Amino acid sequence: MRKAKPASHNPTNSASGRRRRDRRHRPRGLPTVILTLLLTLTIVLTLAGCGSPAAQEDTETVVTVLQGVDATTLDPNMHAETPTGNVCINLFDSLIWRDHDMKLHPGLAVSWQALDETTWEFNLRDDVTFHNGDRFTSADVKFTIERILDEEKNSPRRANLGGIETVETPDDTTVIIRTEGPFPLLLARLADEQIVPAAYTQEHGAQYLAANPVGTGPFVFDSWTKDDRIVLTANPDYWRGAPEVDTVIFRPVPEASTRVAELRTSNADIIVNLPPHEVASLKGATKTGVSSAPSSRVIFIGLVTTNEGPLADPRVRQALNHAVNVDQIINSILQGNGNRLSTPLPDNFFGADPSLEPYEYDPDRARALLAEAGYPDGFEITFDSPNGRYMMDKEVAQAVQGHLAEVGVTAHLNVLEWGVYVNKIMARELEGMYLLGWGNATFDADGTLYSLIRTGARFSYYSNEDVDGLLDRARSTIDAAQREADYQEALAIIREEAPWIFLHQQQDLYGVSTRVDWEARSDERIWLGDVKVDESR
Amino acid sequence: MSTYIPRRAWQALLVIIGVSAVSFFLIQMTGDPAALMLPMDASAADVAQFRESMGFNDPLYIQYGRFLGQVLQGNFGDSIRHNQPALEMVFERLPATAELTAVALLLSVLVAVPLGVITATRQHTLADGLGSVAGLLGQSMPTFWLGIMLIMVFSVQLEALPPSGRGGLEHLLLPAITLGTYSMATTMRLLRSKMLEVLGQDYIRTAQAKGLPERVVIYRHALRNAMLPVITVIGLQVGAMLGGAVVTETIFAWPGIGRLAIQAINNRDIPLVQAVVFVAAATIVTVNLATDLLYGYYDPQIRFTE
Repeated sequence: MRKAKPASHNPTNSASGRRRRDRRHRPRGLPTVILTLLLTLTIVLTLAGCGSPAAQEDTETVVTVLQGVDATTLDPNMHAETPTGNVCINLFDSLIWRDHDMKLHPGLAVSWQALDETTWEFNLRDDVTFHNGDRFTSADVKFTIERILDEEKNSPRRANLGGIETVETPDDTTVIIRTEGPFPLLLARLADEQIVPAAYTQEHGAQYLAANPVGTGPFVFDSWTKDDRIVLTANPDYWRGAPEVDTVIFRPVPEASTRVAELRTSNADIIVNLPPHEVASLKGATKTGVSSAPSSRVIFIGLVTTNEGPLADPRVRQALNHAVNVDQIINSILQGNGNRLSTPLPDNFFGADPSLEPYEYDPDRARALLAEAGYPDGFEITFDSPNGRYMMDKEVAQAVQGHLAEVGVTAHLNVLEWGVYVNKIMARELEGMYLLGWGNATFDADGTLYSLIRTGARFSYYSNEDVDGLLDRARSTIDAAQREADYQEALAIIREEAPWIFLHQQQDLYGVSTRVDWEARSDERIWLGDVKVDESR
Repeated sequence: MSTYIPRRAWQALLVIIGVSAVSFFLIQMTGDPAALMLPMDASAADVAQFRESMGFNDPLYIQYGRFLGQVLQGNFGDSIRHNQPALEMVFERLPATAELTAVALLLSVLVAVPLGVITATRQHTLADGLGSVAGLLGQSMPTFWLGIMLIMVFSVQLEALPPSGRGGLEHLLLPAITLGTYSMATTMRLLRSKMLEVLGQDYIRTAQAKGLPERVVIYRHALRNAMLPVITVIGLQVGAMLGGAVVTETIFAWPGIGRLAIQAINNRDIPLVQAVVFVAAATIVTVNLATDLLYGYYDPQIRFTE
């Protein structure tokens, strides 16, 4: 291989002298350096070859959860993020427990009752201690709620409890909450607010709590290496009974295909936001499976009905609903991971009416309705969509654009980065159509309809006096039967008036190792207090 | 030389201030941190209160002035999202990025220099052909794709290396290869062409004619001269690697400042973005300065004149 170069090779006696001269200028010869470095590389490679990927210790059971991002804080009162909430829910408890079916049950509160429309009494457990040994009392509840409500503390959760006026503690196990008006969502909201220890937080400060959390939950905080891992260990004294697993690790892994690789190589047990195209192969493998749950998130295309133009006409809006083949979008783009919506509310919400049918896919009907409204040749409209925020959001928007084109409606699609998009929404700069997802942690109609449909609400581009009246009335009573009837009546009008193109309820997908017995929840929570591990599977 | 370093340091400072100003105004123009931080159903009053308490309602130049004033006292402010000192958060993650970048750079030089020499001294042989194709591939493969492929092969199929995370050497290898490949290919291709150029020079023929061993001709006379522009490029690669770290750290869940940067930008966490940009800009400017000084040391022809 070596090509003969002319001349050279004649090591004479003067070679050593020359080398000495050269050394004056050059303390180290380049070949030596390279040789050393190559040697290093060899050692590195050998060592790496020997090391096996993170072998777990046999003596303890570990469950590893991979989320997209790290927690931003471990203070449960000072964030409004799902990944952070998933760590906190394993460290802290709420007064009210939301079970797997999203029904409310006793948590740190054993019972509660409404004394009148604006006064609620909660009776607390008297056998609970925080991880540092402090006894849990009503003072902790009062402290927690008040710090969330404190304007100066800037908690992003403040709006959740906005209806609360005062919190009183007649004794250690009783809490009286008074609200400004009837606050029907109080219980649903309290199910998401976790109780922090008053004395500990006052003594050490909020920043200390955020890094050294002490709760009453099934796991005790062990360590947090930022952007790498959070380690929790079982709380043997947990009041619901000690968890079965010894250690829980939360790791942030941003890239979905990397999370899948970790699951496949048995380095992870639960991974979030599984891409739909990975479902089949994980289900087909022996060590991995998939768990899914209908989420609280609905995906829709909002129509700006409040400006002049085609979208102000309900016939046009009905036509758009008939023009989009939602079933096809769910089956092909989402690979079945969505439930069709006929109104803004999915069936598992309080106030939903499962008897309402979705709009039938019927392009001819759509064309006829458009012609009736005076648009026989269709029209042009702007269409905004985020990219990567919801499952296959951009692809769904593109499909809708294609379906609308078939009935003559030209939608100019504008795909935006989420930060830019949110800004546009908040500034109310939307016009035409926009794709949006709406999660509602209360599973109650109010959190969706009042924000998105009521006249003048922050995210509403629709106005109907009858609907407003029903939504207002349902909000001003704690009578559940009355509220449900009002919402169902409102939904029938909303379906007919079609302020949105109703698309689907998102189905959340998780990759799960078969050694772990865990099921996905509709509220996106990963609670590990009752998770079981069977190494033989 | 005595005034050269202070002058360059002063220029470097101006560059850093310029970079921070540009990033400050750019990030302000593209989104509102309040809109991203608060839940979407937060009331307008809550948003207004949040903006007021964070000082977002002041005109931009006042906000920037306030930021510069803080920075002069060594304070970048607290991250909006994390409620922790921003600079501290960057320094917490700096060792991970430094480790990754250093190993990637080391790997890339270790591979690039011998390959560059071999392909140049054996021009038009099979070795040259293979080396050149490898170089072309290395330059044209997207980092993202390469990273995922390495995980598929070495972690999932061969189960030889862990797919992600930071730990021992075995965790470092795949991300370092991913990050270093582009730089390796660039360095190798440049060195090859420079070597070919130098090998055709008269002084090389002289060295060969006076009977120096081939090894000495290549490594002492040719490589030393061909390395000069390569050193500059390797210096520039450090900057490119800090950029590449954003992608590599995301794929491999590496807890460094690249990932911190991307999250800070997504959240429009302005103090944190500023702190990351400041540290990255300072690093790049320092490396460039060091490269220039090294260049002068290696090439006696270049003297820093006043």
